[in-house]
Amino acid sequence: MLSFILPLLGRLHPLLVHLPIGFLIFGIILVFFPLKDFKNQVPFIRLAFLLGGISAALSSASGFLQYQHEGFGWETVQFHFYFGLATTAFSFWIFFYLKGKESIIPAIKYQAAGLSILLLLTGHLGGNITHGEEYLTEVLPPEIQSFLGREISENQGLVLPEQGWENLAYFEQVIQPILNSNCKSCHNPRNSKGELDLSSWEGVQKGGENGAIFHLVNWKESGLYSRLVLPLEDEDHMPPKEKRQPKKEEIELIRLWLEKGASPTLTLGQAQPELKILDPFFLREEIPFYPEIQPSLASEDSISFAKAKGFYVEPVFFGSAFLKVSCINFPEFTDADLKSLMGIRENIAYLDLSGTQGTEEILPSLAQFPNLTILKFNQMEIDGKNLEILSANSNLKWLYLNGTSIQFEQLDKLLQIPKLEKVFAFDTPLSQGAITKKYPFSLETGGFQLPKIPSDTIVY
Amino acid sequence: MSHLEKLLGELQTRKLQNQTRRHFLLDCVSKVGGLALAPLLFGCDLGKSNSVPKGLQLSERDLNPLAPIPAPFLAKAKSIIYLHMAGAPSQLELFDFKPELAKLHDQDCPESLLEGRKFAFIRGVPKMLGPQAQFSQHGESGAWVSDFLPHFSKVVDEVAFLKAMHTDQFNHGPAQLFMQTGSPRLGRPSLGSWVTYGLGTENQNLPGFVVLTSGGKTPDAGKSVWGSGFLPSVYQGVQCRSKGDPVLYLEDPKGMSRNLKKQVISAINQANQEDFENFGDPEILARINQYEMAYRMQIEVPEVMNINDEPEHIHQLYGTKPGEESFANNCLLARKLVEKGVRVVQLYDWGWDTHGTDHDGSIDMGLRNKCREIDRPMTALLIDLKQRGLLEETLVVWGGEFGRTPMQENREGKVQGFKGRDHHVDAFTMWIAGGGVKKGMSYGITDDFGFSGLEERTSVHDLHATILHLMGFDHEKFTYEFQGRPFRLTDVHGELIRSVIA
Repeated sequence: MLSFILPLLGRLHPLLVHLPIGFLIFGIILVFFPLKDFKNQVPFIRLAFLLGGISAALSSASGFLQYQHEGFGWETVQFHFYFGLATTAFSFWIFFYLKGKESIIPAIKYQAAGLSILLLLTGHLGGNITHGEEYLTEVLPPEIQSFLGREISENQGLVLPEQGWENLAYFEQVIQPILNSNCKSCHNPRNSKGELDLSSWEGVQKGGENGAIFHLVNWKESGLYSRLVLPLEDEDHMPPKEKRQPKKEEIELIRLWLEKGASPTLTLGQAQPELKILDPFFLREEIPFYPEIQPSLASEDSISFAKAKGFYVEPVFFGSAFLKVSCINFPEFTDADLKSLMGIRENIAYLDLSGTQGTEEILPSLAQFPNLTILKFNQMEIDGKNLEILSANSNLKWLYLNGTSIQFEQLDKLLQIPKLEKVFAFDTPLSQGAITKKYPFSLETGGFQLPKIPSDTIVY
Repeated sequence: MSHLEKLLGELQTRKLQNQTRRHFLLDCVSKVGGLALAPLLFGCDLGKSNSVPKGLQLSERDLNPLAPIPAPFLAKAKSIIYLHMAGAPSQLELFDFKPELAKLHDQDCPESLLEGRKFAFIRGVPKMLGPQAQFSQHGESGAWVSDFLPHFSKVVDEVAFLKAMHTDQFNHGPAQLFMQTGSPRLGRPSLGSWVTYGLGTENQNLPGFVVLTSGGKTPDAGKSVWGSGFLPSVYQGVQCRSKGDPVLYLEDPKGMSRNLKKQVISAINQANQEDFENFGDPEILARINQYEMAYRMQIEVPEVMNINDEPEHIHQLYGTKPGEESFANNCLLARKLVEKGVRVVQLYDWGWDTHGTDHDGSIDMGLRNKCREIDRPMTALLIDLKQRGLLEETLVVWGGEFGRTPMQENREGKVQGFKGRDHHVDAFTMWIAGGGVKKGMSYGITDDFGFSGLEERTSVHDLHATILHLMGFDHEKFTYEFQGRPFRLTDVHGELIRSVIA
């Protein structure tokens, strides 16, 4: 009847462990920084280590109970446990060692230093069990993480090749990655909640405390699937509602695998999945349109400043450091107004000066806008004499010169812009005749017509 | 003099009558309570701001509901031009070439096609109706286009066809609502409203969502197809007339100079500003903004809606005749509006309901005439956007609300005097082009009669999901809280048509 006592005491472990940490650190501080006002502080220090030792013993005991009653593997807790015991013993040792001493001799300082290292290790190993080993490292910048040897891609989840996905082993190469990214953090050999290990085929086959997690006949009843599609509020819903939820296509893939017999040898091609459930997982290398190296976010103040001047200023998408700036509501813009944009010059990726009073004199200042990708000079007084200055804009891809007076000879000046892809020069002197010269960028001079044809006028 | 005194007395009485208990309490809260709270909330900044109380967190949107906001994701297009052929054009005479159907011409429709199905007008067993147009392949993509669209056939390499579209509404009104709002019933915001709500508009002197109609009739579903549903009404489409004044009552009335109007508006705004300083209600600021925007639009709208200043070669390209209400004029206006930063432009062209009941509604004659009205303008629109580099940033959508049957219509069980087709929901063709759309693409395969989609079927929700994606939204995340639950344009449906995304 009182069988709940022991598990309950076990669960008090996370509470108790903070007592020895506090007492022992207090004692260690007193060893190194004795209070000036007292002649003999040894009794206080002894008290701190005594209380620390007692609470450490209680913590170790409760920890052992928790290990026995919850689903922790011995490999997971063993070092935490050993270090906990060592901390306890060492605390009592210092307590007895100090007996009869009247001042703090150097040996005590060495011992206190040793104890603090033990305490740190014990606490850290305990933290690893509750929060996971990646708790501290995963917030570090990726460069430091890879320096520390941590594999970042481990939990990126399912990725499929667009060609040859048919030959993938359905369980090993599709289901297991889905389980790894959605379930493994709580269901693995070291931390097997519900006595379930979803990190390997053996674990999946074995099931959890409620038995098998998939049924071959009544596959819809399989816990591996049915718990995923329960309402989020249902307490049996998995993953727990506060955790990241799987994509609907991931659930579809699990459903299909169960439906097709949940065999470990099935290939993805044999299961004949609809392409649309695979589509989100295809690895597509998208070349980002805007420069890859992002500047830091522009300050609110400099954005408001530009807006107050009359510019349209918005990020190219929510949260992006790149800004689109246009003079659509600011046709009075002259070259001198460009200085209002200097505070955000590194952020401007899209600059539309169409229809303004700006002139070619603005080009040298634009060289200070390193991330310009789209630049629009439509209907401006520009004849292209100084266009070679734009070669400083190494990220420029699209250049709009519609309605300007750019001349054919000036086009060669654009050859120096390394990433230039498209030039629009409709309604310019270039539109007059056909241009046969080939450029590395596409040149649109427009002037299309739809010649009249007889059927234009036939009425049926 | 006594009149003036009377007036002043009246003013005094009214003023006192309007001083209710509510005002007293409000003043207590905002003045006495405010004094006590001020040092806590605003610190030393108190009194620095003269218009907006500092503690009030007002976003740009509170003041101006059309203020631009960035899309959640990198958008491939910044504007939409939606060409809606109201009445539903026949895919079997324009894009969906079915030589097998020609062999069945005038034979009884197979039972298998009719089982368990309902049609708007067809009753009993109708006869099959072979394609009434000559088809050939065009462009590098080899797209099939009929001789009904000789100009459009030259630009097929710019567009992506969706040949197995399907809907579930076979009457015009509900189907148009479904196509434009994602629901066949009234009350949902239109696609254009969603986009305008989500992105605002770049040009602060023009509406964000403009609607133009042609063909002599507005869509059956009424203005709800560009309505804002449960979204704030500021996001609904603004219907502009392409003939006469673009917006009625925009011109200054006789004897009222622009200057006088400006004075009236600034007086009203000043009064509103004082009211705002008293009560701090952001709605008042929104009101002030709207007055100012209306005034600015009064100047800009007539200018942008005037096509007379376009050069002659552009008029020839589109086939426009200034002063008429025509699809051609509307196409040119659409280009001008998008160029000026309008977010969504929708063109509704009426007259595509070809049942075969009369000459104009016949598949082989009336439809040809109708096609001629749109062939040059829509082709011109595409190449004009292309030559200006606007097609890179503009999404163009073309289609009706459903398709037409491979069977000859037999209204009331009788043979029609002309060749015509009934409404059909299972398979029809739409095309999209421009920002982020794969060029020269054909997606969707229909059966030998063009009756049902066999592969790569796409629903109205799928199209909406794709349009929202190209505009920088995830259609599953883009929601609006209404009546206790979040609503989406695609409700609980919609799959991205990835194959047509570049």
